[in-house]
Amino acid sequence: MLFRSIVLLTVFLSLFTGMAFAQTVPRTASGKPDFQGIWQVQNRASYNVQSHTARYDMLPGMGVVVDGEIPYQPWALEQKNTNFANRETVDPLSKCFLPGVPRIMYMEHPFHIFQADEHVAITFEWTQVFRLIYTNGQQTMYPGLNSWMGNSRGGWEGDVLVVEVTEHNDQTWFDAAGNFHSDALHLTERYRMLDENTIDYEVTIVDENVFTRPWAIGMTLHRQTHMDRILEFQCQAEVEEANGDFERDVRTWYPAVIPADNELFDANAGADLPELVVAADIPRLPDGTPDISGYYMADGGGANYGLETFAGRFLLPDSRGVVIDPPDGLLPYQNWARAERIDREGAHRGYEDPTAHCFLGGVPRSHYVPAPFFFLQPPGHVVVLHERMSYRQIFLDGRAHLPDHIRLWQGDSVGRWEGDTLVVESTNFNGKSWLNEVGDVVSHAQTVVETFTPVTADQIIYRATVSDPITSTRPWTIEIPFNREDQEILETACLEDNNDLGHLRDVRDEYRAAQKASSQEK
Amino acid sequence: MLRLLTTLFILASGTLAGNTLAHHSFAAEFDNTKPVELTGTVTEMKWSNPHAWIYMDVEDESGNVVNWALESISGNVLIRRGWRKADLPAGIVVSVVGWQARNASPTASIRFVTLSDGRRLFAGTGTATPATEE
Repeated sequence: MLFRSIVLLTVFLSLFTGMAFAQTVPRTASGKPDFQGIWQVQNRASYNVQSHTARYDMLPGMGVVVDGEIPYQPWALEQKNTNFANRETVDPLSKCFLPGVPRIMYMEHPFHIFQADEHVAITFEWTQVFRLIYTNGQQTMYPGLNSWMGNSRGGWEGDVLVVEVTEHNDQTWFDAAGNFHSDALHLTERYRMLDENTIDYEVTIVDENVFTRPWAIGMTLHRQTHMDRILEFQCQAEVEEANGDFERDVRTWYPAVIPADNELFDANAGADLPELVVAADIPRLPDGTPDISGYYMADGGGANYGLETFAGRFLLPDSRGVVIDPPDGLLPYQNWARAERIDREGAHRGYEDPTAHCFLGGVPRSHYVPAPFFFLQPPGHVVVLHERMSYRQIFLDGRAHLPDHIRLWQGDSVGRWEGDTLVVESTNFNGKSWLNEVGDVVSHAQTVVETFTPVTADQIIYRATVSDPITSTRPWTIEIPFNREDQEILETACLEDNNDLGHLRDVRDEYRAAQKASSQEK
Repeated sequence: MLRLLTTLFILASGTLAGNTLAHHSFAAEFDNTKPVELTGTVTEMKWSNPHAWIYMDVEDESGNVVNWALESISGNVLIRRGWRKADLPAGIVVSVVGWQARNASPTASIRFVTLSDGRRLFAGTGTATPATEE
C-alpha cells in the first residue's frame, strides 16, 4: 500500500515537474532547450567523486557517485589507492595537463556553453581548452584516435542533450583522489535543463578494463549569473611566471608605460585598403548574416616565421610577406622594437617565445600559427576554436570592453557585422605574446581591429590592423586568406609532450653563461 | 601501406612544407653546423602534437647503443595525410637525415626517413637540406 502510494506520488511529481520544465526553460529558435551561457558546479567532486572528509589538500564533500561505490576490479582498486597516495606528483593536473571528460565538467572553473544548430561548443576557463560536440550526426573522420579530451558526438532525446564521449586516452583521472580509467572508457552524458538557471548533469561510465559494471555520477550545473564572460586561467603560464621559468619583458608586458624617448605614434596614418567583393552565393543564416561556420586553414604565407618577406633561412619556412600597409610591406617599428625583433631571432632567444612554452598565441597570431580553426555562430556570438588548443569568444552585443586592468593573452573581443564583413575590436592584451617565432614585437598597448570577409563560400579574407604606440610609429595591417576545408578539428595536447623547451633553455643558459664569463674577464 | 605513405610524404614535401611547422623555432633548437645521418631500429613512434617523435636505437662508433629522439611535423598533420601509428612499428630499420640539437643531446630535427628498401619519406620542416642530401 505504502509502495503503491509512493509510486503514484512519484508519477504525479514527474508529471508536475514535466509541466514546469516545459514552461520555464529557455528555448532556441529551433525549439531545443537553450543551454547557452556560463555554468559551474557547486560541489567538491573535483577533489573526490566519492564522499570524503577533509585533508590538507582536499576540501570535504558529499559524493556524486549514484550508488556511492565505484565498482573497481580488485587490481584497479589497488591502483586507485596507489594513485591516491602519490597524488601530489602523479595527478595529471599537478603538471597542468588536460583534465579530460568528465573531470573538467566539475572543476572549480566556469565554462561557457555555446549552442548552434549543428554543434555545441563548451569553452573552459581552465587553460582555454574546449570541447566541440557534433549534434548533426557527423561521424568522426579519424576513428581510433585517442585523446586527452575524447571525441564527443551528441544528439537529442526529446529535451535531453545526450553526448557519447569515446576515444579517451588512459592518462586522465576522474578527480584529484586518483580515481581512474583506461582508454576503453565510454561516457554517456545527459544534460537536462530543470529551469533557466539549472542543468541536471548525469554521466554513465563504462570501462570493462577497470570496472566490474557500468556506474554513474550525477550533479547540478548552476548558471553563473554574475559573469558575462570567461576570463583566462593559463595553469602552466602561472606556474612558470611564479617560479621564474618565464620572465617578464618590462617593455611589453602590462603595465609597461610608453617610454619618454619613444617616437611619436601617428594613429591616423594608413593607406586606403583595396575593397573586397563578396560573391552573391555565399551561405547565409536565416537572418541574412553570412554563415562562416566551419573548419578553415589559413594560407599563412609563413607569417608565423616573419610578417615581412624572408627567404632561405635555416629551418624556417619562407615568408611571402603579409603586411599590406604600409605599402612597402615593412612593419613601422620604433627603433628599439626593430632592434629587439632582430635580437629575438637569435638562437639564445628561442626559449622566450611563449608558444614554445605552449602558452596562447594571442591575436592576430592565433590565426596564422600552422594549425586550423573552427568558426561557430551561436546567437549573439562568433566563437573561434583553435586546434592549437585555445579559443576566442567574440561578443556581438555591443558590450563595453573589460576594465583596463584585466589583461588577457587573447584580449577582449567585441564585434559587429558591417554589411557582410565581421569587424572585431580587441583590447585588454597582456603584452606577453610574440607575433611569430622570429619575434615580431607587440605590447600590451596594442588594439587590434580585424575584418573577416567571406568573399566566396569557401574563402574568408582576414585583415588585422594593429595599433601599438609602444612598438610602432603608425598602425599596420596584414592580410591572410582562410580556406574552408572538409576536415575536423583535432586535439593539440602541447604541454603534455613538449620535449623541445628544455633544449631551447640549454641554448639560452649556455649563452648567458658565456656572456657572464665574458663580462667578468673585462 | 608503406607505398601509400611514400606517396603521401612526397606530396607533402612540395606543397605543405611551409604550412606544417612548429610551435617553437627549429632554427633556435637545432644546429645547421651539425648535420646528422643515422641508421637504426625504431623503438617507438610517439604520436604527439605539435610534433611527433620517432625514437630510434643507433649504434655509435664505439659500439654503444644510443636512443635518438627524432623530431617530425605534428601528429595531427601526419594523421590528415593518412598516416597511422602502426605504420612505423617498433623494430623497423630506417635511416634519417637531419640536424642535431644545439645542446648536443641525441636529438635531431629530421628531414627525410629512408626505409630499408630505399624509399624516402619527407618528415621535415622548412626549406633547408643537409649537405649529405645535396
